[in-house]
Amino acid sequence: MSPAFRLGAWLRIGLLGELAIVLVTLLVLFLLVYPTAWVILASFRTPETMFVAGRWAFTLDNYAKLLATGFWRNIANSLLLCLVSVLISTVLAVNAAYAFSRLRFPGKRSLFASVLFGQTFPWIVLVTPIFILCARLGLLNNPVSMIFVYVAVTLPFSIYLLVGYLRAVPRSLDEAAIIDGATQLQIVWRIVLPIMLPGIVATATYAFLLCWSEYLFALALLTQDELKTMPLALYAYFGENVTEWGSVMAASALTTLPTLLLFLPLQARMTSGLAAGSVKQ
Amino acid sequence: MAAISRPGLWSDRRRFLTVALVPTFFFLACFYVYPTVFNLETSFTDMSLFGLRKGGDWVGIENYLEILASGDFRRVLWNTVIWLTLVGVGVRILLGLVLAFLLNSPVLKRWRLQTLARVLLIVPWATPPVVAIVVWRWLLDPRVGAINAALVSAGLVDQPIAFLAERLWVWPALITIITWNTLPLVTLTFMASLQSLPEELIEAARIDGASRWQQIRYVYLPHLKPAIIVMVLMSTFWTFNNFVYVWLVTGAGPGLYTNVMATEVYIQAFINGRFGFSAATGVIMATIMTVFGLIYLRFVAERELAEEQT
Repeated sequence: MSPAFRLGAWLRIGLLGELAIVLVTLLVLFLLVYPTAWVILASFRTPETMFVAGRWAFTLDNYAKLLATGFWRNIANSLLLCLVSVLISTVLAVNAAYAFSRLRFPGKRSLFASVLFGQTFPWIVLVTPIFILCARLGLLNNPVSMIFVYVAVTLPFSIYLLVGYLRAVPRSLDEAAIIDGATQLQIVWRIVLPIMLPGIVATATYAFLLCWSEYLFALALLTQDELKTMPLALYAYFGENVTEWGSVMAASALTTLPTLLLFLPLQARMTSGLAAGSVKQ
Repeated sequence: MAAISRPGLWSDRRRFLTVALVPTFFFLACFYVYPTVFNLETSFTDMSLFGLRKGGDWVGIENYLEILASGDFRRVLWNTVIWLTLVGVGVRILLGLVLAFLLNSPVLKRWRLQTLARVLLIVPWATPPVVAIVVWRWLLDPRVGAINAALVSAGLVDQPIAFLAERLWVWPALITIITWNTLPLVTLTFMASLQSLPEELIEAARIDGASRWQQIRYVYLPHLKPAIIVMVLMSTFWTFNNFVYVWLVTGAGPGLYTNVMATEVYIQAFINGRFGFSAATGVIMATIMTVFGLIYLRFVAERELAEEQT
């Protein structure tokens, strides 16, 4: 049943060799996890003991200090922008993905190609014109323009992923519903949606992560401190000369925690979706 | 599905297509098409920070001529294409392959480490780039960083190394950070592909007396090929287009030593206020990516679409 790259058999090795493989794996995993684990642990240490190996003073001061500087506002900004954008983008993407997956219409190939093309386009080239246009329309420092941007950046990937998930939903269900007289919208939202809900959740999670860690558009379009998102505020604590390590670590941990919690349970589904296009023969 | 029909089906389908596609393509047109056209237009002007509202004066292809004549731009192009993209993506794909083989090994299954390995592998991926940059800037810091502390105490170096300020070290350091953050996705994709390889194929190769390298060369790599192609193309887009790693790790420095196209576009517009010049750089960047995009469409979209058509 399993995959089967029999590294052991292939190298014709014994127990000693197996042990070596296990040790190498553990070392690699340690290197991969160390930086993130260190941030989270350091956020509970006093700045004085943070960089001293072996000394450990547990504290919640870093968090208290961080929230006292108004970081809760950045958390709220990030949550609001990401949740609203992901909601809008996922609803649009479910409809569009269904149309691309199940229906025939003129121009379908070029429209789908242009959606995929959106994934490859450099955002940095769009930032300047969008900044200029927002400046002219008075939409700088406005959550609406940020939501607009985040919906647009997450749409191509969401549609691509959902088209992949829809392939696994049997068409016979839609066909039965059509004969029963259901409209297309009813089919999508009442019949197909419950079946592909895990795929939709995975897609929305991915979109959320994309918005949550987005830095470039936020940097260009949000200049007022009280409107900034978490990544912007976090980097601001990381000053050129004096770095507030306590605040930096607490802000880093708070920024990482939601994505870590969302990612871990979804990892299998997420990669199978991302890999779908590349794995199938 | 064409066989299924009932009264009113076609008008309902048309209504659904309007609801499904018009909002999506409204967003995409406003976000991708209009700014791209606007950017192209700006690239032929001398628009500055002060001319943001009224626009700049038409200067023809002057911005492009200046870019092509400048030695700075050759440096930027070299950094973007060779260092960031070629080396960056190459290292990621090679390490991803090695790691996928390692983590798929049945040895780990026997030691009940496979689930742990998969979960821990996600951690760098789930770490937002800004956090990754912050922690790596600390790790590489010459005064308080753990890497220098370890090197000094192991006696490998006398003086701490300012990894991000020395020309010799800055690119390897940048590549390390990007690789750490992006390796899991590539590895997991290759692992998924390896798991779909039928056992009988390897069995058959072994019975036929294929050597280890022949197995890799003729069984594993051909099976992994589609996954490798997609990951190479996607990694190329993500890396070539990426702004945040170089900007937040080195600020394109020391000096402008690590300046890449994305940071050049940003610096010219938002630091130097030369929006026209920045737009011209952006047009060149977008043109290069369009070529890659067409290759991507050939490999990926063709296959997707071929399936959707049936």
